[in-house]
Amino acid sequence: MAAAVGQGEFPINYIDVDRTAQRVMNPAGLKYWLWVAFLAFLVAVGVSYWTRQIYEGLGVTGYGQPNYWAVYITNFVFWVGIAHSGTLISAVLYLFRTRWRTAVYRCAETMTIFAVVTAGLFPIIHLGRPWYFYWLCPYPNERYLQPNFRSPLTWDFFAISTYLTTSALFLSMGLIPDIANQRDISTGWRKKFYTILACGWQGTDRQWRNFSMAYLLLAGFATPLVLSVHSVVSWDFATMQTPGMHSTIFAPYFVAGAIFSGCALVITLMVPMRKWLHIEDLVTVWHMDNLSKVVLFTSLVISYSYLTEVFVVWYAQDPIEMMTFHERFFGSQGYLFGGMILCNCLVPLLLFSPRIRTNMVWLFIISIFVNIGMWLERFVLIAGSLSTAQTPSQWRFYVPKITEVAITIGSFGWFLLNFSLFTKFLPIVSMTELKEGITWLRKSIREPYPYRKAA
Amino acid sequence: MNGEIELIGTFTSEDECAAAIEGLHKAHVHDFNVFSPFMSEKINEAVDEVRGWGRSPVRKFVLAGGFTGAFTGLILTVGTSWEWNIIAGGRPIAAIAPYIVIIFELMILFGVLSAVSSFFFISRLPAFEPAPGYRTRFGADKFGLVARVGDGDVSRVEAMLRDAGAEEVARAAA
Repeated sequence: MAAAVGQGEFPINYIDVDRTAQRVMNPAGLKYWLWVAFLAFLVAVGVSYWTRQIYEGLGVTGYGQPNYWAVYITNFVFWVGIAHSGTLISAVLYLFRTRWRTAVYRCAETMTIFAVVTAGLFPIIHLGRPWYFYWLCPYPNERYLQPNFRSPLTWDFFAISTYLTTSALFLSMGLIPDIANQRDISTGWRKKFYTILACGWQGTDRQWRNFSMAYLLLAGFATPLVLSVHSVVSWDFATMQTPGMHSTIFAPYFVAGAIFSGCALVITLMVPMRKWLHIEDLVTVWHMDNLSKVVLFTSLVISYSYLTEVFVVWYAQDPIEMMTFHERFFGSQGYLFGGMILCNCLVPLLLFSPRIRTNMVWLFIISIFVNIGMWLERFVLIAGSLSTAQTPSQWRFYVPKITEVAITIGSFGWFLLNFSLFTKFLPIVSMTELKEGITWLRKSIREPYPYRKAA
Repeated sequence: MNGEIELIGTFTSEDECAAAIEGLHKAHVHDFNVFSPFMSEKINEAVDEVRGWGRSPVRKFVLAGGFTGAFTGLILTVGTSWEWNIIAGGRPIAAIAPYIVIIFELMILFGVLSAVSSFFFISRLPAFEPAPGYRTRFGADKFGLVARVGDGDVSRVEAMLRDAGAEEVARAAA
């Protein structure tokens, strides 16, 4: 069907898409700035505790034998995982030409960038002497010393920095046509700002032709990259001899978990954004329903992975591994494992119900459970496994102190602060792609969606 | 150029714009520029047919970038291992299996950088001057077709644009 515009016969037209998306970027009110100030306060709290940690040393944390990997590495894996949904939604679903991605992919990509930036902070925070973190980079020096390229930590450096660069370029490329659109309607300093960022884009046939090829190839590169990055992160653990970590299932298990947690966080952010930013016509119930199906599917994959992990340990009958898993299930911290199963395996089963999938309040609550569950999973895996390693005389369960708690809260503040600022100054939904698939957007608004009343 | 006029056709749908491009082709007008608010397959196909463009050359730069990245990864890992060539634990000085991760990541990195830089280069961006005939609505909700025609062809091409569905055809000196 030809996508005619401006004739009043459709529930939404091209210009409506622009106006709705551009309204989000209108000058902010007091509530917004109070929210930003609150987030800045959280960041300040985190920074002040990190400063104290740098000054006094890692002794101010709960770290000690045998737990030298704990909350900071948990946060690193958690944030890297969060970052994965962005690339999944923007690149992988782009290659599959999935129609519902258009409304949510910009939000997911933005989330990816700020999640990777947040994740990248934690290995540095984790170091006793963070000013030496550059030793991970290969650089010419008079001693001919280079990083150990056999080490998963060096792989991590390359994987994360490549992922950050790729995601940032992917996001920036997609933003150019939308920024040009914004440039054309802006005035004052905003016009100058958008003029610089738009790089002179005018949507000519030559520009679109090269844009579409470059974007397709970026998506093609990002797809194997998204699988490799979390696999590399998983090998940080899987290549260790520590019981509870030394497992070949980790790479696919981590990738599925990353997509699971990332999509859940997209829902967590999208549900309030739809309401507060008045973008319900662009991000419809149809989009949210499909997103929640991804969460449900990856939850099932994660549940299967948990079962496989336990089965492999039982089948191998290695006494140390058996003891570690016994402690994980029934030990003094077994409630963390129970919480993880509840949040990651049981609560998402509610998403089998179409009524729940199309109810924004339920979706928000379930996504929060998933976020908590996935953080717990990484904590149980890292801190829990190290607590009960090979030498029972060294067993000690790690309990975080105020420093780790404050820095963790600060990281959430940092992530949300960046995300909130982006939302106000750059388009958080892709106007060009929504217009390209406007037939589907109209359909999702006009046609009675199954169980829509429940929303 | 003297004696040339720019006809700026404004369309509300991509189908009409694509039909107008085909009309220009039939009218032997090949000096034109199309503006669209989003990537339209129909317009791209019509333009490709008229101009005889193949696929975008961006892919060649990306291929070269990917190979360069992989080669760089190989040189970086194997070269630096041989530079500090102490055998530890009987293991080979250059162990290819773990280096594949670095080689892969650098292949992606260089490929991505070449994709973006070649896109800018081939699309002639950043552009500091607006393209002739550009209107702000072409970035929002309208499709624009700017054709440069000689004085004698103006009426004929203008009629053709209107027949194809242009809601407005404006004239400007080329």
